[in-house]
Amino acid sequence: MGKAYVITSGKGGVGKTTSSANIGTALAMLGKKVCLLDLDIGLRNLDVVLGLDNRIMYDIVDVAAGRAKLSQALVKDKRFDDLLYLLPAAQNTDKTALNEDQVREIVDELKPDFDFILIDCPAGIEQGFMNAIAGADSAIIVTTPEISAVRDADRVVGLLEQHPLQEQPHLIINRIRQHMMKDGSVMDVDEITHHLGVELLGIVFDDDAVITTSNNGEPVVLQAENPAGQGYRDIARRLVGESVPLMEIKDEQQPSFWQKVTHWFRKG
Amino acid sequence: MQDAAVLKGTKDGYEIILDENANLKDIFSSLRKLLDNLKTQTASTNPQTIAFDIYTGMRLWPADDRSELEKIFSDYSYFSVHKITSDVITKEESNRIIEQSSVHIVDKVIRNGQEEHIQGDVLFLGTVHEGGKLFVGGNIFVLGNVEGIIQAGAPDLEDKMIIGDVHNAQQVRIGEQFEILADSKHEMNSGTVIYVNDLHVLDYGKVEDLKQINPKFYNQIGGVING
Ligand SMILES: Nc1ncnc2c1ncn2[C@@H]1O[C@H](COP(=O)(O)OP(=O)(O)OP(=O)(O)O)[C@@H](O)[C@H]1O
Ligand SMILES: [Mg+2]
Repeated sequence: MGKAYVITSGKGGVGKTTSSANIGTALAMLGKKVCLLDLDIGLRNLDVVLGLDNRIMYDIVDVAAGRAKLSQALVKDKRFDDLLYLLPAAQNTDKTALNEDQVREIVDELKPDFDFILIDCPAGIEQGFMNAIAGADSAIIVTTPEISAVRDADRVVGLLEQHPLQEQPHLIINRIRQHMMKDGSVMDVDEITHHLGVELLGIVFDDDAVITTSNNGEPVVLQAENPAGQGYRDIARRLVGESVPLMEIKDEQQPSFWQKVTHWFRKG
Repeated sequence: MQDAAVLKGTKDGYEIILDENANLKDIFSSLRKLLDNLKTQTASTNPQTIAFDIYTGMRLWPADDRSELEKIFSDYSYFSVHKITSDVITKEESNRIIEQSSVHIVDKVIRNGQEEHIQGDVLFLGTVHEGGKLFVGGNIFVLGNVEGIIQAGAPDLEDKMIIGDVHNAQQVRIGEQFEILADSKHEMNSGTVIYVNDLHVLDYGKVEDLKQINPKFYNQIGGVING
């Protein structure tokens, strides 16, 4: 029986979709069976980030309305055999096209067949948010080190206290710029974690490759040497129960282990 | 039969005592008789308006019966009800009184967008995050951390105080007076008292000066014995 995580933030554009795609991919790389649910109805883009947009036949609203069977709507990511699937959002309907019971029913139907179900939540705290948390066992809250993002995360933690899920929420701090955190111009990891009172699941550095890889439909975790990718891979390992130390925040970006190794290979 | 509604003069005016053992029908008819009598008696003199205090003894009058009572008075243009008192209160009311007169220990995180409403005094050990609001009917003693909005004397009591260090707060409010702390720098420490002064303006003092700031409160915490 799988576990469902909603990936949420309050504030828009902090990396919910990026995190969903990358954690999902990283879990599949670890051999777990994963289903990604895009609940950002009307603005779907999880399919694009995964490079699956051209394979969509049906969407989640079709399933909820009974126009398609769940198995017909699931889009398989061919890169991972039978491990990674996406249930796309609808594009031509508004957020009211779905209700909490329908989402809960779909998630319950997916659970026996998957190890992980990751629900990409829309920004905001309205119906779309309520739908996204309805079927979840736990929440992964994404924030950036910016005050406004942390405030919105705080709001979401408060709402999750009012609608408690089975498990306490987890926190991802995304888009960390090491030199800014080092010189104190943004809140640091400890400050944010302590302020929100939420257990830290992982940190992800800000990296241009996240944007270029998203554009190509190839999540950054697929690049073995990329530090943002490593952040997401570490998060996936923690989700399957491994204990992985937090990446170190340095002033200058040192060449990573992987960079050193590739260097060495090239020489040889 | 003894009258179920009896008129009595008090130093503050007129009181009508309603028999706590009589049935309502008798009370109402007896009351009408009484008011009719009074009307004819006062008709000869200059008509003057009288507001009566109603005393109901050991009987609790629910809202329905009260409005019935007030309806009777509305038939008499010069008579009205000033207030209804009795020797008993509902459980609900007594709970409210207990609530209002106790010091509540609050140890929680009030997050962005959340509001906490509490009657009575509060000893605050928790945290109010930016965007969180703590509204307290009585005084607030702050040992925790306030980064949001905090109000004592909510909604409109100006004799309440906030004691403690709230220099991180976005706003402090007492009754209807408020201050945005970003606009005004005040030195604060755990012995800071925020109160409303005689000019109805928020003011900042020290616990040592409580006796001058708020004598009533000072007596209540035992200042009389110590001082
Ligand atoms: N670690 C990162 N480094 C660099 N860019 C990032 C990182 N994470 C996210 N981004 C970029 O930030 C933008 C917003 O990310 P994303 O779409 O994942 O956010 P979102 O929270 O899903 O937004 P929305 O609220 O609109 O759904 C994207 O262009 C993405 O590529
Ligand atoms: Mg998104």
